[in-house]
Amino acid sequence: MTLNFILNGRPTELEVSPDKRLLDLLREDLGLTGTKEGCGEGECGACTVIIDGEAMHSCLVLACQLEGKSVLTIEGLEQNGELDKIQKIFIEETAIQCGFCTTGMIMSTKALLMHNPHPTETEIRNALAGNICRCSGYTQILRAVKRTSEEA
Amino acid sequence: MVHVGKSYPIHDALGKATGRTVYAGDMELKGMLHMAVLFSKIPHGFVKKLDYSKAMELPGVVDVLYYGNTCQKEYNRYHSQYRQDLIHTERIFNQHVRFVGDRIAAVVATTEEIARKAVSLIEVEYEEYSFALDAHETLEGKIDNMDEHGSVFGSIANEVGTRPENDGTFVEVDTTTHIDRINHMAMETHAAVAEFDSQGELTIYSPNQTVYGIRSFIADLFDMDYNKVRVVKTTMGGSFGGKQEWVLEPLVAAAALRVKRPVKLVYNREESIRSTYCRAPMYFKNKFTFTPDGKLQDVDCDLLLDAGAYLGNSINYARTLGSKFFRTYRYPHETFHAQVALTNTIVSGAFRGWSSPEFNINFEHGMNMAARKLGIDPIELRLKNVIHEGDIELSTGLNLGDFKGRQVLELGREKFDWENRKKEIAEFNAQNKRYKRGMGVSLGGHVNGFYPAKPDYTRVDMCVTESGTVRCGVTLHDHGCGTVTAFKMIAAEELGIEVDQVRIQEGDTAVTPQDFVGCFSSRTTYVMGRATQECAKLLKERIKEHFAVERGCDVADVVLDGMTVYSTKEPDVVYTWSDLVYASQQRYQHEIFASYEYVSKDNPGVCGGHFAYVEVDTYTGMVKILDYLAVQDIGQAINREICIAQTQGASVMGAGAALTEHVHYRPNGVPFANLKDYHLLNSFEAPSVRVELIENHNTEGPFGAKTIGEVCHVPASAAVVGAVNDALQSDLNDLPLTPDKITAYLKNREER
Repeated sequence: MTLNFILNGRPTELEVSPDKRLLDLLREDLGLTGTKEGCGEGECGACTVIIDGEAMHSCLVLACQLEGKSVLTIEGLEQNGELDKIQKIFIEETAIQCGFCTTGMIMSTKALLMHNPHPTETEIRNALAGNICRCSGYTQILRAVKRTSEEA
Repeated sequence: MVHVGKSYPIHDALGKATGRTVYAGDMELKGMLHMAVLFSKIPHGFVKKLDYSKAMELPGVVDVLYYGNTCQKEYNRYHSQYRQDLIHTERIFNQHVRFVGDRIAAVVATTEEIARKAVSLIEVEYEEYSFALDAHETLEGKIDNMDEHGSVFGSIANEVGTRPENDGTFVEVDTTTHIDRINHMAMETHAAVAEFDSQGELTIYSPNQTVYGIRSFIADLFDMDYNKVRVVKTTMGGSFGGKQEWVLEPLVAAAALRVKRPVKLVYNREESIRSTYCRAPMYFKNKFTFTPDGKLQDVDCDLLLDAGAYLGNSINYARTLGSKFFRTYRYPHETFHAQVALTNTIVSGAFRGWSSPEFNINFEHGMNMAARKLGIDPIELRLKNVIHEGDIELSTGLNLGDFKGRQVLELGREKFDWENRKKEIAEFNAQNKRYKRGMGVSLGGHVNGFYPAKPDYTRVDMCVTESGTVRCGVTLHDHGCGTVTAFKMIAAEELGIEVDQVRIQEGDTAVTPQDFVGCFSSRTTYVMGRATQECAKLLKERIKEHFAVERGCDVADVVLDGMTVYSTKEPDVVYTWSDLVYASQQRYQHEIFASYEYVSKDNPGVCGGHFAYVEVDTYTGMVKILDYLAVQDIGQAINREICIAQTQGASVMGAGAALTEHVHYRPNGVPFANLKDYHLLNSFEAPSVRVELIENHNTEGPFGAKTIGEVCHVPASAAVVGAVNDALQSDLNDLPLTPDKITAYLKNREER
C-alpha cells in the first residue's frame, strides 16, 4: 500500500506492506533505530512512540493503521539542534545507564507531560509503569521527569 | 578529590538520549545479510530428517546452515580463556536436540523477514526421547543419554576448618531452599554481527564482557590464527551476566565464514529467554549449628544445581558457590557437597554475582530461622557472627582487610529504625487479620576480582595527544553502568585534568591492550581501575621527564598543573602538554606514553546489608514493599550517583527474584518465554530504595574503592524473603514467593 502520514512533523509517503509493524517500518525502511524492540508484545515500552499525542507501543501498531496520523519518534524531539528539555534533564540526572529503555522512557514522559504538565509522583509512576528499566530501579528517571515538569 | 566521588552522566548519555547510539542490532554494514535460527520444538530427541529445499527456493535466501554443513566441533560456551579446561558438549547446530530452543539450523537471507519466513519452511522430523525438566528426575535416571560424559556430575565437595565438639547444648537448624530459574532480562536482547574480509580476517561485533575471551573461543572453534580473529565490543544494553557466554557469536561467525559477507543475527525476546541462558535452578539442604547464645559453629550444605541442557559453566558455578562460605561470617567449620545435573531445559549460566546471591538466599534464610529458634533478633544474631576488620578468610587464608559488615548492620539498624518498627509491626499485626507486616535483613559478602582463585592482572596504556589530551587504552566492557565514565574519572583525578580530557576506547582486540581475564567477577573497578590509576601516575612521571630533558632541568623540580608543566626553578616558563608533545616530537624524538601492568595481590572483604519492610495481603498472597534500605561497604564511590543507581537497580532486581521472576515450564517442556508471564517490577511497584554508602578509602583499589555492581545484588532477594517470612511467621524459601505459593502455604497451615 501507499502510506501517507506525518513523521516527526514532515509529510511522508512510502510504499509498505500494510501488515508491517510500525517498529520495523521506522527501523528498517526509514533507518530510525532510536526506537528499540525489547519484547515485541507491548510489555516493556522500549519501542514507545507518540501517535496523535498518545504514547503507543510501535510493535503493536501496523502500517495500515497510520494513514493520515502524526507520528513522533525520539529522532523528532530535537528542535533546531536543541535537545528537548526531557532529554537534557535525563542526561543531567544520571537517568541513563545502558540506554536501551531510555528512548521509550523519554517518549512516554513526553506524552505524559503533553497531557499533564505537572503530574504527581503517583501519576508519573503510573504513566511510566509500561516502560521497564532493568538497570536503575527508576529513582533517577522519576526524579528527571519530576524536574522536567517543575522547570517547564 | 576533584572528580572521584562526584556524579557524572554515563559517557554516551547524549547518544542514548537522542537515539543515535548504535547497538549491535542497529548496525548496518555494506552487503550485510540477516540470519534467523531454527530451534528445536521438542525437549529431547534426534533430528531424523531435515528438508530445507523450500527454504532455499524462497527469493532472497542466500544459504542454509545446519549440522550437516557447519563445523561440528564440540565446545563449551563458557570458554573465555586460552586453554581453559572444560567439558565440551555443545555444537553450533545440534542433531541430537536437548531442549526446546536448541539450535538445529539457520537461514541467511537479504532481510530478517525473509530469513524468518524461510526458517518456517524448513521441515523437521524428530525421533523423540524421554526428557527431564527437573534435576531430581535426572538423578532418578530419566535421561541417561544426554552425552558421553553422563548427565550427573557429582564430585564437587569441600570441607574447611575443624568441627567443634558439641557439649550437648548446641542448637541445630535444618533448612531447605529452592531457587527457580531466572533470566537476566537486559532490555537489549542478544545480537551479533560478523564479517569475513578478503584478508582472511574474521571480525565479530557483539555486546560482551570479554573481547579476548571470544577471540580465544572463536579461533579455537574454527582452528584460526588468533591474529585473524578480531572482536569488537559494541554498546551494551545491559548484561547482568547474560552476555559473558557465547551463544550468537559462533553462529554469525560460521555464517560469515561461509557466505563471505557480513551477517547480523538478533534474537527477539522469546529467543533470548529460551535459547541463550538463565540463572540455574538450585535445591539446597542445610544444617546450621549454633551455641545457645547464637554463635555459629558449623554449616553443612548440600546443593543440587540444574545445569540445563548443556554443561556450560555449571560445575564451575557450583564450585564457586562453595567458595563463598567465609566472606560474611566467621565460624569454625563448614562442609559443602554439590551435584550438577543436566536437564532438558534452558542452559544455566552466569548471573550477576556469580553464585553469591544464591549462596546468600540460602544462608541468610538459615540465619533467620536460627534467630527465630534461638529467640535472638536477626540483626543481633548477625552481629554476633559477622567478620571483623582484619579477619582471615578461613578457606583461603586471605586477610579480609577493611571489611565493614558490622558497621553496615549497625548503620542499617539505625537508618531503618529497626527497633521502633519492630514494635509498630507487632501492633499492626495484632490489629490486622488480612494484612501482615514484617521486616527482613540480609548481609551479603562478595569478592573484588579473581585473586587468589585465578591469575588476575591487566595492562593499561596511556599517551598524550597533540592537543595535550590523554588517550587511555584499557580493555573495558561497559555493561551500560558507566565503567568508561568511572575510568575517565579515575585517570583525570590522578592526572589533575578534566574528565573529558581523557578518551577511553572500549574492548577491541585490534586496538586495546591484551586482557585475558575480561570484565567479570567485580574486577573491573578494583583491579583494572587500580591499573589505570597506576598508569596515570607513570604518565605524569613521563611528562615530567620530557619536560626536564626539554628544559635541561632537574625532574624533581618539575610540577604539573592541569594540562601545563613547569619547573619551580623557572616558574615563568610554562609549557602546555600540547607544547611539550611538539617539543618531544621535534627534539626528544620520543612519544609521551606509559604502559603499566598491574597484578592484583589481594581481595578484601566487601559486603552490602539490605533491609526490607513489607506488607503481605494474606487473602491474595500479594506482597508490597513499603520501605527498602541498602547499605554498601564500598571503600570509595567513584561515580556516586551511578553507584547509587546500580544499588537501587540491583535491589529491585533482587526483589523481583524474591517475588515474581521465574521462567516457568509447561509439562511438555515448552517454557513460557515472554514478558507477559515473566513479571519484572515496574515503576509503580518498585520500592523507593534508600542507599547509604560506607566509605573508608582503605583498600588497594583506585582511591581506596571496592566493588559495587555485583555485591549490591547479593543481599537483595534474601532481605525481601526474610521480611515476608517475618510477616507470616513462615519458613518459606522457595523462590519466587508468588501469590500462589504464599496463599497455598497459608491454606495448608490453616488446615494443619
